[in-house]
Amino acid sequence: MTFSRGVESSSQAVGQPGAAPSGGVTTVVVRRGRRRFEVLPYALVAPVMIFIIALALVPAVFTIVESFFTVNPLDPPTRFSGLANFVHIAHDKAVISSIGNTAFYMVVGVLLSTAMALAIAVVLQRPFRGRSLVIAVLILPWALPGVVEGILWTGIFDPNAGLINSLLTTLHLGGTGVLLGQSRLLTITLIELVQVWQITPLSVLLILATLQLIPDELYEAAEIDGCSPWRSFLAITFPLARPGIAVCMVQAVIATINIFDQPYILNGAADTGASLTMQTYFISFQNLDFGQGYALSLLITAVTLVISLGVVRAIYRKVEL
Amino acid sequence: MSPAWSARRRRPVRGGTSTVRRIGVVLIVLWSVIPIYWALKMSFQTEGDARAIPAQFFPIRPTLQNYARLLGSGSDVSGGIRQSTINIVIECALATIITILLATIAAYAFSRLHFKGKNIFFYAVLATMAFPPYTTLIPLYRIMSGFGLVNTYTGIVLVYVSGFLPLATWIMHNYFQSLPDGIEEAGLVDGARRLQVLWHLLLPLARPGIISTALITFLFAWGQFLFPLVLSSDLSTQPLTVVIAALQGRHDVPSTLMSAAGVLAIIIPALIALIFNRYIVNGLLTGSTR
Repeated sequence: MTFSRGVESSSQAVGQPGAAPSGGVTTVVVRRGRRRFEVLPYALVAPVMIFIIALALVPAVFTIVESFFTVNPLDPPTRFSGLANFVHIAHDKAVISSIGNTAFYMVVGVLLSTAMALAIAVVLQRPFRGRSLVIAVLILPWALPGVVEGILWTGIFDPNAGLINSLLTTLHLGGTGVLLGQSRLLTITLIELVQVWQITPLSVLLILATLQLIPDELYEAAEIDGCSPWRSFLAITFPLARPGIAVCMVQAVIATINIFDQPYILNGAADTGASLTMQTYFISFQNLDFGQGYALSLLITAVTLVISLGVVRAIYRKVEL
Repeated sequence: MSPAWSARRRRPVRGGTSTVRRIGVVLIVLWSVIPIYWALKMSFQTEGDARAIPAQFFPIRPTLQNYARLLGSGSDVSGGIRQSTINIVIECALATIITILLATIAAYAFSRLHFKGKNIFFYAVLATMAFPPYTTLIPLYRIMSGFGLVNTYTGIVLVYVSGFLPLATWIMHNYFQSLPDGIEEAGLVDGARRLQVLWHLLLPLARPGIISTALITFLFAWGQFLFPLVLSSDLSTQPLTVVIAALQGRHDVPSTLMSAAGVLAIIIPALIALIFNRYIVNGLLTGSTR
């Protein structure tokens, strides 16, 4: 621990050449002008670093390395097998079908949640009485467990007791019939709607934060120039909200490519809705083929990172106000 | 730190609350609460009433039979619900306490002390935030199983803490950085040691940040499903989310009972979100400024 400047300056005085080594007399302790090595900061960050290294970085290296190995308790020993895992999953019908599902989850989820978040943020852009209450209710879906949200929405989609069916029968429009698990397109859209319910609140907050930075004068000037609200949205709000939109799209990309809870609960293992993460789970923890599981999660990670970077490059613009 | 939009009051530009905005606000609220309302409604109905035609949009003949089956003694599902509720509370509480403790001291060092290699350490922590959540699912399972920690509180809590530390450290780091610089110097001149400065001067100032981070961490822990699904193999450690999901597949479990189970699992997070929403919103925004 270095205390104050006083200590350092006196150590410099003591450290003057000539005053240093003085024979056998040990009364003068020579201090160097350099700062002493401090242990405290390292001690403070050590626990976090140990966690991060042992339970995040080492496992990540594991995933990369062992995706090139056969790792299967039913087929020992663990041995190098080159690209065999990747070749195998590339020919796995369930994996291929889940790639399509996941791509669809991502496209629907990212577009829908971003569009809705932008619309909600614009509604909440200006202060009004009760806005903080609306925001409190708005973040509710974000705070709930994804699995349980699947259960809540089962109640909406249920062919008998569901809200949609109840509305249709009450309006004499017939019933819904079975909504989930029949048509692949409808199943995935409805499941993704549940995830959109969960991820949109955070997107709203991210976009709202950027909207708060836009000065009112811009809107006033636009109004004086005769801009319609829609025109000023296109000319002012949207371009200036781009940093927030980019961040919210990235979090939507990460959430949707890795979707697990909602299809697992709402549609089970069925091909009509199974996602890539679900296939990783089935391959690793039901077939116990960890090697292929590693390969698949490595691919998911790589795709997530590439698409996230692409979104940032396409959408993000530095805004200076 | 108050949210940016409450800090600055602006005069409304165009006609205050327009009709369009009112409709928008109503739609936002409906969208957020209808699935919760519908589950709540079904949870107080018999399966017959829930399926009745014409449809009942309120529980006309409310019943507690679903909750009785979930919680009452001696029913087929209540044992699992009770034990898994205890499990989820223990796991979330431990994960939150450990995460906050470690993240706070590390964030203090990262934001207010100078030491060699600081940036490398800090970027290593932040880099793990870029991983998609399940990248390390399989290796973590294999590591935990290697140490005999599968199906133990320790194993689950260790994995949770490792997952939540980066975001918690990042939020606390930003929070400490927002505190004025002079604080430590004032304390150090008084002869206090650095840890005393942290304890007596910085922590009280950072309390809102600590509360935000703790609430967010707790909510994340409560929402976990795939990790505990893999890491816990029986009722001794399975959290509520895993046990409820297993009910979903059973044929003797009607949809009204599932709704009641869903309501039970969201009571705590929903109350936290409603009561402490200011802390949560601030924490999320502190964590997202890059």
